[in-house]
Amino acid sequence: MTLLRVEDVHKSYGDEEVLKGVSFEMDRGDVDVLMGPSGSGKSTMLRCINRLTEIDSGGIWLDGTPVYDPETDVNELRQDVGMVFQDFNLFAHLTALENITLGLKRVLGVPEAEATERAADHLAQVGLAAQADSYPAELSGGQQQRVGIARALAMEPKLMLFDEPTSALDPELVGEVVEVMRDLAERGMTMLVVSHEMGFARSAADDIHFLDSGRIVESGPPEQLFQRPEHDRTSEFLTGLQSNGH
Amino acid sequence: MSAEEPSVADEVRTTVTVDTDRPWALAGLVAFWGWLLLRWTNDFLLPDGLAFPSDQSFVPAAPFATAAESLGATAASLGVAGAPLDVVAGLLGFVAGAIPSLPSLARGAWLTIVLTVAGIAFGFVLAVPLSVARVYGGRGLRWLSLSYTELIRGTPLLAQLFVLYFGLPLTQIIREVPGVGVGFVPATAVWVAIIGFTLNSAAYQAEYIRSALESVDAGQLTAARSIGLSKVDGIRYVVLPQGLRYAIPGWSNELVYLIKYSSLAAFITVRELFFQAESIANDTFRYTELFVLAALFYLALVVSASLLMNLVEDRTAIPGIGGKRQA
Repeated sequence: MTLLRVEDVHKSYGDEEVLKGVSFEMDRGDVDVLMGPSGSGKSTMLRCINRLTEIDSGGIWLDGTPVYDPETDVNELRQDVGMVFQDFNLFAHLTALENITLGLKRVLGVPEAEATERAADHLAQVGLAAQADSYPAELSGGQQQRVGIARALAMEPKLMLFDEPTSALDPELVGEVVEVMRDLAERGMTMLVVSHEMGFARSAADDIHFLDSGRIVESGPPEQLFQRPEHDRTSEFLTGLQSNGH
Repeated sequence: MSAEEPSVADEVRTTVTVDTDRPWALAGLVAFWGWLLLRWTNDFLLPDGLAFPSDQSFVPAAPFATAAESLGATAASLGVAGAPLDVVAGLLGFVAGAIPSLPSLARGAWLTIVLTVAGIAFGFVLAVPLSVARVYGGRGLRWLSLSYTELIRGTPLLAQLFVLYFGLPLTQIIREVPGVGVGFVPATAVWVAIIGFTLNSAAYQAEYIRSALESVDAGQLTAARSIGLSKVDGIRYVVLPQGLRYAIPGWSNELVYLIKYSSLAAFITVRELFFQAESIANDTFRYTELFVLAALFYLALVVSASLLMNLVEDRTAIPGIGGKRQA
């Protein structure tokens, strides 16, 4: 059953067209990875889905709801779409626990005690029960990103967006974040991931979409894309990635 | 996002800093506040029968004057060798001259503090929406906020006070309000001064808060929006708590400025510290004594405010945001 449908999405910043007609679909429980060189429009595509960036033309539907319909409440929409950022973007003045309870209390209206309890559960899920009272500045990058994932999960979204979740991390911290993501995929979360993390893509992705200059050049399951890419551009890019030690 | 990023807090730390390791400075402040509180309690709270006369100093001036006189005479008889003694005599003479004015100055200091605290507090209430409008508002709101700030910051505070006091019918309106000037309710001129300082301080505080808000990483609001918070809620729960912490050092400057600028209220007849000092000086021709004394009062108030704000900064500091220890 289709959870996300992206149809012929165009987006320009000034004269530069970043997305030139992107279309794809995701079923519930799918894990799709967006790959492509920097500037190819991956992050823009992701941000168009929860309207952090607005599209110019085309359409996006989440669970049947037209994302860009004037009737659609953008704040309600965003509760259904969790987002994990490259720079973590944890609320710097709040503890790990409070980062999670803020949305529960202020967006979902969950009472304090229950919010705390639920937030603690989510922290435990990402292995950070002991860090509940730590501030972001006191956490490692990997820990911060795991809190970021827990914060998004706490809103019980239908879809999780990951915008290069590991690219700001020191290499030795990538593993702990990938592990949490893999665990999430196994539990059936629908995930759209912008990442060059080949290990994750190979083991967890159902489909990989290769984006180049605003277009999806090639899509397919990881084994197909990695072993027998149809386009020269795809194979060039993947070869480059592998030689960079990913 | 990272803790290494320089924050506004580090860049604008220009407030008067007080070395709390120096016990004499602290002892001086304790003595000042102890005396001031005693004086206010006596003059404002105790019933007339119980109270020490409110126009009379706790310590009589006469012994100091006598001592100054006899020391001065001794110094004169010693010739050149008596010079150090003469300095002591001079100091005693200063103290003797200053003592009778202390009760009036204490009353003036009370009004100075009332003006400053009210101006800062009400100004802050206006400054937060002003700065938010400036940073996050639409075109119209941004323009409105900028115009107000520029108008206020571009004209002299004294002129603003004059417009409010003499130019507008504000005085007549306030005078009609029942209760004004009775008991602890300040008189009309004080209200006008509070309004003036509020409007003025709001503009300056808005500038400090605006630059602090701008230093909050844009990703913070993006993250807030991504979990479904509205823009207003995102600003309220995520941006402001961080921005206001960054604003504290600059904001402390505004508090310190306002303590001193509140002396301009004297020109619209508010009997605050400077007014008291000047009027006594005019009556007694002891200009040096009175203005030195007034300066010491202002210094004590400013140093106290700085200490207080340092304390606030430390208490509200969060790892990674504000506070000296993390810097």
